[in-house]
Amino acid sequence: MVRNGTHTVKSYEQELGQLRAMVARMGGIVESQVARALSAVAEHDGDAARLVPEQDPEVDALERDVEALAIRLLALRAPMAGDLREIVTAMKMTGDLERIGDYAASIARRSLRFDLADGRISLSGLRSMGRLVQENLRRAIDAATQQDADRAMEVWHSDQAVDDYYTALFRSLVTYMMEDPRNIGPCTHLLFIAKNLERIGDHATNIAERVYYSVTGDNMTGSRPRGTGTSSVDAS
Amino acid sequence: MIVPSGEMLIGLVPAAVVLVDVHGRVLHANVEARSQYGDALGAVMRAPEAHRATATLPPGGSAHATLALDVPVQRVVQASFRVLPLEDDGVDWGAARMIVVLVDRTEAHAIARMRTDFVAHASHELRTPLASLSGFIETLRGPAADDPEAQRQFLDIMAAQAQRMQRLIDRLLYLSRVQVLEHQRPRDVVDAEDVLDRVLDETAMLLRGRPLLLDLQTPETPLRVHGEEDQIVQVLLNLVENAMKYAGGPTAGRRRDGLVTISVFAREAGRDNDRWPTHSGVLFGVSDDGIGIAPQHLPRLTERFYRVGGKQTGDAPQPGTGLGLSIVKHIVDRHGGRLVIESEPGRGTTCLVWLPAA
Repeated sequence: MVRNGTHTVKSYEQELGQLRAMVARMGGIVESQVARALSAVAEHDGDAARLVPEQDPEVDALERDVEALAIRLLALRAPMAGDLREIVTAMKMTGDLERIGDYAASIARRSLRFDLADGRISLSGLRSMGRLVQENLRRAIDAATQQDADRAMEVWHSDQAVDDYYTALFRSLVTYMMEDPRNIGPCTHLLFIAKNLERIGDHATNIAERVYYSVTGDNMTGSRPRGTGTSSVDAS
Repeated sequence: MIVPSGEMLIGLVPAAVVLVDVHGRVLHANVEARSQYGDALGAVMRAPEAHRATATLPPGGSAHATLALDVPVQRVVQASFRVLPLEDDGVDWGAARMIVVLVDRTEAHAIARMRTDFVAHASHELRTPLASLSGFIETLRGPAADDPEAQRQFLDIMAAQAQRMQRLIDRLLYLSRVQVLEHQRPRDVVDAEDVLDRVLDETAMLLRGRPLLLDLQTPETPLRVHGEEDQIVQVLLNLVENAMKYAGGPTAGRRRDGLVTISVFAREAGRDNDRWPTHSGVLFGVSDDGIGIAPQHLPRLTERFYRVGGKQTGDAPQPGTGLGLSIVKHIVDRHGGRLVIESEPGRGTTCLVWLPAA
């Protein structure tokens, strides 16, 4: 009935909770950066584009805070087993999240440097790839905040679909460039954007791998299934 | 006397309510919150707008924020926050520090968005048949004014083009309807057998007079899924129509009877196969033995108006609208299901739809 006062000594559990909360918050910001970067490109939303780099300092500050708190927990509480893995994972994950934020900022800045409003180049491929990457990122962060190894595994497997999208997008952009030299400028920007998205997908997969390790203590073994005769795509 | 708990109190509120702790972590979500947001609750609560609105709230203070989500489905949520006052109010709030009420505003936003999308796509896709219609009208008025033979031929083509426009408009409207409802998870329980019966009734007509074999693999025990029957039927119909279009493609120069396979089977909960969610579900499969689809097209098949170009589509009796798989994907998303398309060029294509078991 009586809520905890604010001046009590923080318990270990509370500090661990705070660490998780900071990682989740960082994840939330990075997710919104990616969402804005994509709408900057796909919806020609200049305001969104300008907002993305402005979120960077907050992400950087959180990364430092998480690191400081993680070091503090390691030094003072000497955590073991699962807790130890979770703390180390949180520290490494923030590195991935920070990189994702950087890629989003790079996409957003790039979106301001070219104009596609005349509709010569279809952006639907990029939109779909973006959605898939966003979904993977969301699931990876969910997996991290809920310490859910199954979810992590799902992300890990759908990274193949991101790679397939990237390959398909690459081909279609090259085709646009061959059709009309005027397309070369915007398509080059789009190629970089697609590459950045693919990297964001890779970092989401890294997060998934880290979460899996954190929860189970095992590494995800084996390589992801590569294309054989039969190809498939998880379209959902 | 029993001390009421926070969890109990929010359970009574007829709206989506969530209790969060001092770190912003969800402690309890009432039934409404769980059913409306489910999987997306984590993403809603960690949206930076939520943190910004609540970071400096004093005990007892309240704030509002509009949260926009892109995935798993686009939605706009109006969130209202109240930090619990410090005084003892006779309720056991546990570790909770804040009450959050979530109101979904997606529909209003989706309708606005749908209007612009609809205009863009419809105008683009309707232009082709319309141009052809105008061309033939021109010809009928001028050069062919006195040629009954040509007139008959042209009118046939015009009728076909008008039909194509009609079909396109129907599909577009259906897709828009599906999209508006996309964030409402259907709750009915649907029997897979009823779905199959309806699909077979509808396809019987299309099958008549075509060199196609239909193979049906049904389960022995009844299977039930959570969903809306009409929409699940639509999903299968679209997949079967596609399969029929491509089944029995030319093999080594000669035609043979095409084979379309429809199968339904239970998928037990488990993680033996990472393709499907780990809880139990029902898999619907539709396969053809046609020319297959090259891997670079697979990721894009569910995009609106995406068509595998070139002569690959063969002599399909009707050109597609380019919306069928897009409709399928939106319906599957709405049901919290999963769609997987597999194909091997020269061997055929298989579409698998996983839906959560009831």
